[in-house]
Amino acid sequence: MSTDDPACLDILRRLKSTDPPLWLAPNPSLSQQARTASLGLFSSLKPYTPQSPLDRLLIDGFDAEQIWQQIELQSHPLLSFLQREVKRFEKSGEISRFLAEEPQMKDILREAEDDQGRKEEEDVDGFDEDEAGASEDLDDDDEEEDGAEEEEKEDRDEVGDESESESGEEGDKGGIEDGFLKIKELEEYLQKDEAKKYGLEGSGKKKAGNKERRGIDEDESSEEGEEDDGDDDDEPGGFGVDDDEEEIENARYEDFFGGKRKKARRKPKVKDGSEEDVSEEEDGDDTENENEGNHNLSTHEKELLSMKSKIEQMEKANLEPKTWTMQGEVTAAKRPKNSALEVDLDFEHNARPAPVITEEVTASLEDLIRKRIMEAHFDDVEKPPSLPGKGPREIKELDENKSKKGLAEIYEDEYAQKASLISAPSSFSDEQKKEATLLFKKLCLKLDALSHFHFAPKPVIEDMSIQANVPALAMEEIAPLAVSDAAMLAPEEVFSGKGNVKDESELTQADRKRRRAKKKRIHKAEEAKRMTTKSKLRTMPNPDEGKED
Amino acid sequence: MESSDASMEVAVASSDPKSSSLPPKPSFAPLKAQDMYDGRVQFRKVSVPPHRYSPLKKSWMDIYTPVYEQMKIDIRMNLKSRKVELKTRADTPDVSNLQKCADFVQAFMMGFDVIDAIALLRLDELYLESFEIKDVKTLKGEHLSRAIGRLSGKGGKTKFAIENATKTRIVIADTKIHILGSFANIKVARNSLCSLILGSPAGKVYSKLRVVTSRLAERF
Repeated sequence: MSTDDPACLDILRRLKSTDPPLWLAPNPSLSQQARTASLGLFSSLKPYTPQSPLDRLLIDGFDAEQIWQQIELQSHPLLSFLQREVKRFEKSGEISRFLAEEPQMKDILREAEDDQGRKEEEDVDGFDEDEAGASEDLDDDDEEEDGAEEEEKEDRDEVGDESESESGEEGDKGGIEDGFLKIKELEEYLQKDEAKKYGLEGSGKKKAGNKERRGIDEDESSEEGEEDDGDDDDEPGGFGVDDDEEEIENARYEDFFGGKRKKARRKPKVKDGSEEDVSEEEDGDDTENENEGNHNLSTHEKELLSMKSKIEQMEKANLEPKTWTMQGEVTAAKRPKNSALEVDLDFEHNARPAPVITEEVTASLEDLIRKRIMEAHFDDVEKPPSLPGKGPREIKELDENKSKKGLAEIYEDEYAQKASLISAPSSFSDEQKKEATLLFKKLCLKLDALSHFHFAPKPVIEDMSIQANVPALAMEEIAPLAVSDAAMLAPEEVFSGKGNVKDESELTQADRKRRRAKKKRIHKAEEAKRMTTKSKLRTMPNPDEGKED
Repeated sequence: MESSDASMEVAVASSDPKSSSLPPKPSFAPLKAQDMYDGRVQFRKVSVPPHRYSPLKKSWMDIYTPVYEQMKIDIRMNLKSRKVELKTRADTPDVSNLQKCADFVQAFMMGFDVIDAIALLRLDELYLESFEIKDVKTLKGEHLSRAIGRLSGKGGKTKFAIENATKTRIVIADTKIHILGSFANIKVARNSLCSLILGSPAGKVYSKLRVVTSRLAERF
């Protein structure tokens, strides 16, 4: 079965005409048709894949995945073969010859080639500090353009020197090179490939987008100039992005510091005399090469140019919407994810930052702890002092000694107490209390006497004691207390006499005589009395004594 | 009229009992001890345990004097039979004297001091109570010894504490315990002693004692 087969074609046509919704549901008839169709296609492609292990597509009893695998097995080498063929076809120039017959096509072709060359120039004049691999472009580009352009010969010579020198350096750097795998060659090939792929396709957009790219190159070359060449293969298809990245990767000196070569090249182009070329190239140059190395300008003019480009850049940035950091209040939804992490935010911290624990801090803490322990000055929680509410309850003390009283006496005392004959004997504690209070009062009196601040009269202790009727003056000599003589004997108690009391010294002679006479009289009277009592006693006893009968 | 009526009433009243032929209420003088038993003499004999023999000898006069002088009871010691004999006299005023003296001597034999036992003679309401440790709890060997130790305390201080607090006298004779005192006090002392036997520590007993005795004292 092959595509030539009408049945196969019919099936294919039918498949193509089925409604798309029908494909959503698994349909066994459709699947069978698809299988047969794929079988037919496989068979038709078979002659172009001599190395394929499969003679025909096996569809009976195989599921979709397996059939796909078989198809891929065939198509993979086929695709690469086709690509190679196409490149070879390009190289050989058949297309150019084919297209050259038409004048418009020729121009277009020319443009394409120029662009390609210019691009290569840029690549060549880019960074010296760039990675070794990037410089590989030059060799490839040179090879391509050798036969095509006369104008670029001069440039290329310079370029070639540069590139050779660079490549010469490069050879020393490569450490992983060996006989089998030459990284240099691989990189050369890859660069060539890229140039081929993107050089043709990007020609139309290049002019428009180049201005931007120039600007971007200058800014971003430092960041992205050092990408590996291996990444080139992985770039997805897409015009502008690829071009930019291509430009950035292959950023060269001339992107930033002006292309001396451009200017030189321009002049030969002008000299050529073909108006079209000039106009186009000039247009191209004007649009593309304003900022590039016009090495005939003065430094001031160069600065002006750079300033201008910056201004243009800024103006362009102003037209665009601002970044989220410049937008004032921004919620999380309005900014890209995790973007706040990348920005250095500055805000007030209300909490004190945690202290950094250093050795000194720990040492100081330990010293404090040691000092506190030595002083025994702890911050223990102390119980609050309980209020002195009630006085201490009188706990009856249990006497643990053998009682000295007999039982009878105890009951006797108890009865007497009940009958209230005797007052209750003060308990042991009461007696002690009395003694204590007495002692304390005595002590207080002495202390007051010492301090002399507070007047405190002598405490009235109700004792039977002899009161010395000492004159107040004598007492005061001891301590200047204000002694109350209320406790002293009253004058009446001292002497209760009536009449005119005269002192010994006050008595006159007559008084003395009178006193003596009085004394004598009393004495006589007493004597007489004594005599009579004695005589009575002597004469009393026997009434029979006198009788003699 | 009224006064004559009153006198009439009196006269009537006085005449009535005579008419009903009820004899007047006789009034007897209290019986002497001798008369009670129709003139016979009463005896009491109190045996003397061997361990109280020498203390009896020592304090014989202290026993003899109040019994003979104040109680008017004859008392003698029968050496052969090792008994103290008591006998009423003609002039024994009260029949209960003999019993009191017998109790007094008995108390002495139990182990009480003379001065404590004298209280029996002086007060009526004092009683003697005896019980054994095994009545409270069956204890053997070391437990028994420990219980006895707990009862008396160090140097007898627990026993004295109970005695002083409850106004009783306690004698701990090996496994027998005798308490002398008034009824309520005996109960309190007995409770304390029982709790000690059962194992409570002395401190607990003291606190309980304090509460109870204060309550007892307040009552009057």
